[in-house]
Amino acid sequence: MTSKPSTTAQRIPTDPAAPTSVMASARGLVKTYGAGETAVRALAGIDVDFVRGELTAIMGPSGSGKSTLMHCMAGLDTVTSGTVVIDGEDVGAMNERQLTRLRRTRLGFIFQAFNLVPTLTAAENITLPLDIARRPVDRARFDAIVAAVGLTTRLAHRPGELSGGQQQRVACARALVAEPAVVFADEPTGNLDSRSATELLGFLRRSVDDLGQTVVMVTHDPRAAAYAHRVLFLADGLLVGELRNPTQASVLEVLGTLGDSHDADDDAACDSMLVTAGA
Amino acid sequence: MYRIALRAIRAHLVRFALSVLAVTLGVAFVAGTFALRTMMSSTFTGIVSSSMPGDAYVRGAEPAAGYSTTGTTGETRTTVPASLAGTIAQVTGVDRAFADISGPIVLVGADGTAVQSTRSPSFGMALHPGDSTVTLVAGRAPSGPHEIALESATLASSGLSVGDRTTAVVAGQIRDVQVTGEVSLGAPMAGATIVFLDVETASAAYAPDGMVSTITVYATDGVGEADLVAHLAPVLDQETAAGAEALTGGAMRAEARTDIEGQLGFVQTFMLAFAAISLFVGAFIISNTFSMSVRQRMREFALLRAMGASPAQVFASILIQAAVVGLAGSALGIAAGLGLVSLLRVGFETVGMDLSGSIPLDASTVVISLLIGTVVSVVAAALPARRAALTAPVEAMREATATEKSLRGRSIAGSVLVAAGAGSLVTALVAPQSHGSTTLGLGAIGLVVGVLLLAPALARHTLGVLASVFVVGVRPLGRLARGNVIRHPRRTANTAGALMIGMALVGASAVLAASATASTQSIVDDGWTSDFSVQSATGAVPIGAVADVRALSSVDSVDVLSYGPAVAAGPGETASVANAVMVVGLPADAFGRSVTIDTVGGSLDTLANGQIAVKKDTATDRGWQLGDEIIFTSRSGSTPARIGAIVDTQLIGSPIIASDELFAAVVEPAGTTVEDLLVTAAPGTDPAVLRADLVRAAAPYVVLSVLDAEDFAAALAEQVNQILVVLYALLGLSIAIAVLGIVNTLALSVIERTREIGLMRAVGLGRLQLAGIITIESVLTAMFGTIVGVALGVAVAAVMPTVFTTTGLTTLAIPWAQLAGMVALAAAVGVLAALWPASRAARLPVLDAVASD
Repeated sequence: MTSKPSTTAQRIPTDPAAPTSVMASARGLVKTYGAGETAVRALAGIDVDFVRGELTAIMGPSGSGKSTLMHCMAGLDTVTSGTVVIDGEDVGAMNERQLTRLRRTRLGFIFQAFNLVPTLTAAENITLPLDIARRPVDRARFDAIVAAVGLTTRLAHRPGELSGGQQQRVACARALVAEPAVVFADEPTGNLDSRSATELLGFLRRSVDDLGQTVVMVTHDPRAAAYAHRVLFLADGLLVGELRNPTQASVLEVLGTLGDSHDADDDAACDSMLVTAGA
Repeated sequence: MYRIALRAIRAHLVRFALSVLAVTLGVAFVAGTFALRTMMSSTFTGIVSSSMPGDAYVRGAEPAAGYSTTGTTGETRTTVPASLAGTIAQVTGVDRAFADISGPIVLVGADGTAVQSTRSPSFGMALHPGDSTVTLVAGRAPSGPHEIALESATLASSGLSVGDRTTAVVAGQIRDVQVTGEVSLGAPMAGATIVFLDVETASAAYAPDGMVSTITVYATDGVGEADLVAHLAPVLDQETAAGAEALTGGAMRAEARTDIEGQLGFVQTFMLAFAAISLFVGAFIISNTFSMSVRQRMREFALLRAMGASPAQVFASILIQAAVVGLAGSALGIAAGLGLVSLLRVGFETVGMDLSGSIPLDASTVVISLLIGTVVSVVAAALPARRAALTAPVEAMREATATEKSLRGRSIAGSVLVAAGAGSLVTALVAPQSHGSTTLGLGAIGLVVGVLLLAPALARHTLGVLASVFVVGVRPLGRLARGNVIRHPRRTANTAGALMIGMALVGASAVLAASATASTQSIVDDGWTSDFSVQSATGAVPIGAVADVRALSSVDSVDVLSYGPAVAAGPGETASVANAVMVVGLPADAFGRSVTIDTVGGSLDTLANGQIAVKKDTATDRGWQLGDEIIFTSRSGSTPARIGAIVDTQLIGSPIIASDELFAAVVEPAGTTVEDLLVTAAPGTDPAVLRADLVRAAAPYVVLSVLDAEDFAAALAEQVNQILVVLYALLGLSIAIAVLGIVNTLALSVIERTREIGLMRAVGLGRLQLAGIITIESVLTAMFGTIVGVALGVAVAAVMPTVFTTTGLTTLAIPWAQLAGMVALAAAVGVLAALWPASRAARLPVLDAVASD
């Protein structure tokens, strides 16, 4: 596996012969909230690619823009400038109707909490995106996913009757059932105990390795990040580092330097924080 | 705490806006009713003052057998000779005295139709020369039988002008008249049509026997009303053996005002009943709003509790919010009520009914309205407030969704009440004789309250069935919508309950109206055998018309149906005004020819021998038997008559039926009203020809209409429908408030479900689909409320024909098409109610929804 250095000072040139396995990419992504003096620059120009069959973790301190990056990539938020392409389609050019169709067919979501519609059973929650899209449920895939997340016996239960871990696994199953191009997970283990978190992360990783899914996960937790194929580090709206085949220790190490350098020298932070780590 | 309470309202203004609106509408009804009553009151007081300007009045000392169908004349008394006025004028302290000579008149306006605004009376009166209370504004006073003067408002509404010629029906005769003058009475007359005649003409028409009801007396300067009466009393004792009494102008006006106040009071009570329904329905909205607001703010309350606030303080803070909502709503409601009355007054003016003065707003109206609105709000919020106060802080802090309390207790209580209510209805159905109406009333109350209690449990099951159409038809929106309405059964039940009440009343009214119409139809079908009936819009057929109709060659028989009051005393009863009853007079041979009446005992043939027929329920009430002798007492003496038949009929409303000879003997001519001419065609005459002849004969009298059995039933049905329209209009407000309740619940639940909506949008739910879910929820709620309400109303109304058979409600008719129409309307209303909440939900940015905490 090659480690690909990236800097924020210069753009990654768009490779004309980019492999089709790039499922989602952003170029020159800028997101500014507010205007004038109170304007906050959440994303200061980000170039990134997410490749098929990879579990990518996005990390960074609070306010670094990692959630904003995910929201912009998923078409949940509009971008100030730059482009986002999902599965070959330019998200920025889409109207509301097209965005809805994109979410319904090409994207999967797992949130930190409140992932399920409380009035529907687990099974109904899982097939909800397909039902909304009025697409037939692929029984084989449904059964496989349900079996993989270990929910076969809980399908008739309402969310209120499931544990937190079970609820998140239902959310995972729902995110994957429609074979989306990319699954975006926002702190999926944030509300879980460590055992449930381990199970969930193991399942996410398997879905990538076995089913070839693409998963992008925003997280605070170095242990969760260690399940990823690669980790992207964000600070002040900029991509400041990348780690391939991370371990908990290597993630912590990078996070440590991130924090230090910030405290030490803000001006230098952007330029100096080029961390390259490899297998 | 108070600051927190007030801040919370300001922060969530929109959430409380509809609650405020609900209070506003209910209170507007209350304030409007009070203001309308005050305005009517002052108008009629003005009329009384200007139409009763005398310093003293002389009238009969005894109450007479009277019966006022319209209730406008109040107590009826014996009459006094008009000639007494001349004697009185000579009494010390008397300046002038005039006999009040007046009676019904039909005036034909410029457009050839009768001048009659709304339902106000139309009467002619003598214009006494020298009567300073009436002012000749234009032209000259009428003189002779072919001249009239018109009151200013009458002149305006008739479209005539001074000098014009027209027609009037005076004392039953058609007369060509010329308008010679315009007369002002100095106050708005609320649409009454007033025609002035000269004294001789009026006397000939309205006091042929020289008797009048009152004499107006004016005092010379410096003589007080009481002194005047003191001067009059000895003279009256001397002059009239039959007895006349004098009373002060003030006392007379006070009596008239009391009469009017009593009737206005009845109208006010009637209107307030509907205001109460509206407020009751509004209370559901307030209660729901506070339940939902409390649910959402549980964590806030927990924080307050954790910081040391007592449950009582939390309770009080919520009640303060309710009071603010109530006060704001009431204040707006008072303004809205006044606006409503202003509109009404403009409306009345356009139909020619002038009402006096400015829109009144007295302190008591303001205080009562504010109090009602505030109390309703606070009471409605009390239960949710209690729940908030009693929730343990830890419990509220927990993320877990607050679980719905068990419905078991409520459902058991509801079931018991429903069972008891249904039991009462069945009892009323099986044994309508013993306190049928009381049993029915209690049963209805039990049923309504029981169903309201049972509604949440009912919602769970009924809605599931109702929703299955959508679940199957609109996947997956139907299922999502069903989940949402069943999720909070209390909330759905409360929302639907508000609609349920209005719809129950509408349903019951619809069934009653249909039954009344069907009953009328069957009564007419059974008992009506004449070819045509000639009736008057004023209620009295002019005598002249009788002769005109009789003169037609195409007529075989004309049976005149008259009615009037008489004192009737059976064995052991005293001849007093308390025993006065209405008597109907018909030619003895009319039975079988014009009308068919079922006899329970005896025979109608006995009527020809001077005996009478008595209706079954009157006989039962008074304890009269077949063969009993009834003594009729009138001014001309007493007449005995035996009961020759006991009859069972709905066609004739009066309790006693007499032959026209006996009728003439027992009922005074002044009290006689010709209600109906029952006409049969001459042998071989085409009914169409007869009808054409009759119409031609009736046309000059303007107010007469010619009806066959079918027309008659249709005319009665039309009356029923008019009442129904008024009822629907009054119930409309409570239904409008209930619809607001649906809007309110949906809008609040959209706020409450922000995250859920965001989630569904994130997984690909389109805006239209989201709006669809909310619309289905709305339609389900509206249909649930309507179906249960209509079922309730129909159940109660279905018992009524059995209970009220004796009052003429004999046939039960259920207007299925109309009821189905109501359910369809409910669905449409549901769609309408969902518009705003749905578009609000659809506009929620997905990210805000996902990120909201």
